[in-house]
Amino acid sequence: MKRWSRWRELLAGTAGLSVTLGLSFLIAVALILLLSKQPLATIRWFFIGPFTNKYYLGNMLNTAVPLVFTGLGIAVAFKSSVFNLGGEGQVYSGALVTTVICLALPAANGYGGGLASLAGAMACGAVLAGLSGLLKMKWGTDELISTFLISSAVGFIVNYFITGPLDDPANNLLASYAIAPQYFLAGIFPPSRLNVSAGFAVLAAAAVFFLLNYTHTGYEMRMCGLNREFSRYGGINVSAYVVLPLVLSGALHGLAGGLAVLGTQHMAVKDFSFGMGWNGIAVSLIAKNNPLAVVPAAVFFAWLEAGAKAAMLHSDVTFEIAAIVQSVIFYLVTAQALYGALRRRKVRL
Amino acid sequence: MAYLRMRGITKMYPENNVLANAEVDFEVRRNEIHALVGENGAGKSTLMKILYGLERPDRGGIELEGRPVHIGSPLEAGRLGIGMVHQHFRLIPDFTIAENVVLGVEPVRRGLFLDREKAQASVRAVIQEYGFSIDPSLRVRELTVGQMQVVEIIKILYRRAQLLILDEPTSVLTAQQIQKLFLTLRHLRDIGKTVIIITHKLGEVKEISERVTVMRAGRVVAVRDTAEVDERELSRLMVGKAASLQVRREPAARGRAVLELRQVCLLGRGQDHPLLDRVDLTVHAGELVGVAGVGGNGLAELEDVVSGLRRVSSGRILHDGQEITRLDARELRRRGLAYVPADRLHRGSSLTSSVMENMIIASHHRFLRGGVLRRRQAEGFASRLAERFSIEGDPRVPIGTLSGGNIQKVILARELASRTDFILFSEPTWGLDVASSEFIYERIMEIRGQGLAILLLSSNLDEILSLADTLVVMYRGRVVARLANSGAVSKELVGEYMLGLKEDRP
Ligand SMILES: Nc1ncnc2c1ncn2[C@@H]1O[C@H](COP(=O)(O)OP(=O)(O)OP(=O)(O)O)[C@@H](O)[C@H]1O
Ligand SMILES: [Mg+2]
Repeated sequence: MKRWSRWRELLAGTAGLSVTLGLSFLIAVALILLLSKQPLATIRWFFIGPFTNKYYLGNMLNTAVPLVFTGLGIAVAFKSSVFNLGGEGQVYSGALVTTVICLALPAANGYGGGLASLAGAMACGAVLAGLSGLLKMKWGTDELISTFLISSAVGFIVNYFITGPLDDPANNLLASYAIAPQYFLAGIFPPSRLNVSAGFAVLAAAAVFFLLNYTHTGYEMRMCGLNREFSRYGGINVSAYVVLPLVLSGALHGLAGGLAVLGTQHMAVKDFSFGMGWNGIAVSLIAKNNPLAVVPAAVFFAWLEAGAKAAMLHSDVTFEIAAIVQSVIFYLVTAQALYGALRRRKVRL
Repeated sequence: MAYLRMRGITKMYPENNVLANAEVDFEVRRNEIHALVGENGAGKSTLMKILYGLERPDRGGIELEGRPVHIGSPLEAGRLGIGMVHQHFRLIPDFTIAENVVLGVEPVRRGLFLDREKAQASVRAVIQEYGFSIDPSLRVRELTVGQMQVVEIIKILYRRAQLLILDEPTSVLTAQQIQKLFLTLRHLRDIGKTVIIITHKLGEVKEISERVTVMRAGRVVAVRDTAEVDERELSRLMVGKAASLQVRREPAARGRAVLELRQVCLLGRGQDHPLLDRVDLTVHAGELVGVAGVGGNGLAELEDVVSGLRRVSSGRILHDGQEITRLDARELRRRGLAYVPADRLHRGSSLTSSVMENMIIASHHRFLRGGVLRRRQAEGFASRLAERFSIEGDPRVPIGTLSGGNIQKVILARELASRTDFILFSEPTWGLDVASSEFIYERIMEIRGQGLAILLLSSNLDEILSLADTLVVMYRGRVVARLANSGAVSKELVGEYMLGLKEDRP
């Protein structure tokens, strides 16, 4: 393919997304004009609010970090045509495992113990998702359902630990004891909560991109994702590629949870992962499963969320209105991405 | 006066900047059978897709019965009485024949539900009217490629099309089926329909068509009355030189037994007679065994079993004397099996992947360094293969954007280039133009000379008779004949075996 036509194709894809974006912003503005008594301020806070000071900006970027990991987790699975609807539970249990390991080693070296706790989180996510892969390989159980069910069940177990044995009676939160300070990830944009995990997120995106496009494993994964019959015919071990993408996906989700504990919360907070798994799916859709595009897509998401928050704080907008405006943009963009994804499925000859 | 007139049709595919049609003028008279010929990638399918509303031309117009028409979709084409059978099937495997045929124009009950009985009855009526013999309640999954082709034709007949476009309908049919199809086409012409047929077999052009349009590199280079051209001239018009399908088969030394099937049985679910019934087959090094059979008699199953994609119910398969009965495709590849499948679009290639990625599916281990795929090397490999097999197009474009014949050439190139001692071909030249077929035959003879064991499954008897050392005929899952192809074997004799009129039982 000639280089310029590839650019043109990319541009065409981006153009479609921009039109949708523009349209959804117009609708959002119209809604605000209709519902807010001080629409100009609301619009300003909603769209520009997150950029007005370092605190907001940093926090917005920090919200994007776990979404990058969950988005990558979903992209890896999608590229291999397997589905992981258990992201929530994998993030949540990853956070718990990290917390438990840090609490169990209160005096360990910050680096060693921190790494061990993240490894634990990844292993936990990997096992949970990989289990669904094994079930599919052995008995053909649909991973769409099993990932979701396992994740939901795990959610209750994590809740039990956070509100039971690990609950810190000294704080008023539904949260565990705090981990020791030597584990905290260094902040990089004070006074915001943004920390070095943002760097890890960018590295992870690059790593997943490299894995998918430049390695042997990535090639086999993508081939299985595009055409399983062809892959089997060509001598690829197709049953392994039901399990492996789920293991990777689960590990990335677990890591999202672990990093949230070390970087942002410093404890396991009840229900903090709410929505992260699902938003990861949306992020991956918008990014068309391209790992590099997952980063801006996650930031876009975080921006919507931060904007809604800022508008609530500084203007007359209620939580409901903010949520409506946020979801209008969200659904339009996701629908456009979904439509594109489905259309690309249709093979032309 | 022309019934259909396409004028100045120009079409550039933006994905790869290929000018598939350049200022094409194409005319068809009412009530004629018009052949459209040209090399692989000449732009025939593209022109027909434009006529059927599947592709939009950049420039040019279409007139039907003197009136300019706009054909924006297959639906509109259908309304204008235009129907098309595609080069590659578009059937839904899990639906029955009847359901596939009525898809989109279903008879409904109470305005909502598919009326299965009525659907079956009306499809059965069409089947009888045109003299086909196929049971409309069968699932398409269970059919052979030949039968699927028939279903595609029934599908447009069911829609009462006036203008029928058939893109390479004969490629997968046996000689008898082709004769039947031609009878049908003549009958259709006699009752007032018009037919456009694309084929690579010039004999068929002479046999069935009244006029012929020749395309080369996206342009129309000649329009002739068929009676006034001979095959040599046609082929000269197509490629600029005369090509003939002559294969020189030199006697080869037969070596050790490489592949052996012993009493192989395959039972189908819910079928009373086995799909493969105690099949014994041996292929030696340097030997080409050709298996002939009418669709539905076990060839497709033999393909699946030998390639390791389907487990036998009983019996043994040996490679170099070692048991390989339970090995899957992956392990067989490791042992040196190469395989060109009949189903090129789902099994043989991954349409949205690049030509390069398709080329290296079974050999990507060769391009690794520390787990990293060396793209440069792989692309270089793909380019060299593409050049050797004269496949047009950059190896980085999706293989689905190549013409049908070129997709097949990619598959053949890949399998012929893999380092093997045993190769299975199923319908290898289906969709290839004459020059490409000839090239492939030469390559097959070349690897035979190098001592490969070759198993060829084909519905093309000429192909088998000109290539095979040993000829095997299958009927109802059984081997009914095993003949040394001495040159004395006639098509008629093989035909009798194929139809079950004659049988040698060892
Ligand atoms: N969907 C597509 N996207 C991009 N290029 C295409 C597409 N379809 C066809 N082409 C290109 O257009 C040219 C003409 O293709 P077409 O399918 O019309 O050839 P054809 O005459 O039918 O050949 P064959 O005999 O091999 O089927 C080829 O170079 C092919 O690569
Ligand atoms: Mg074609």
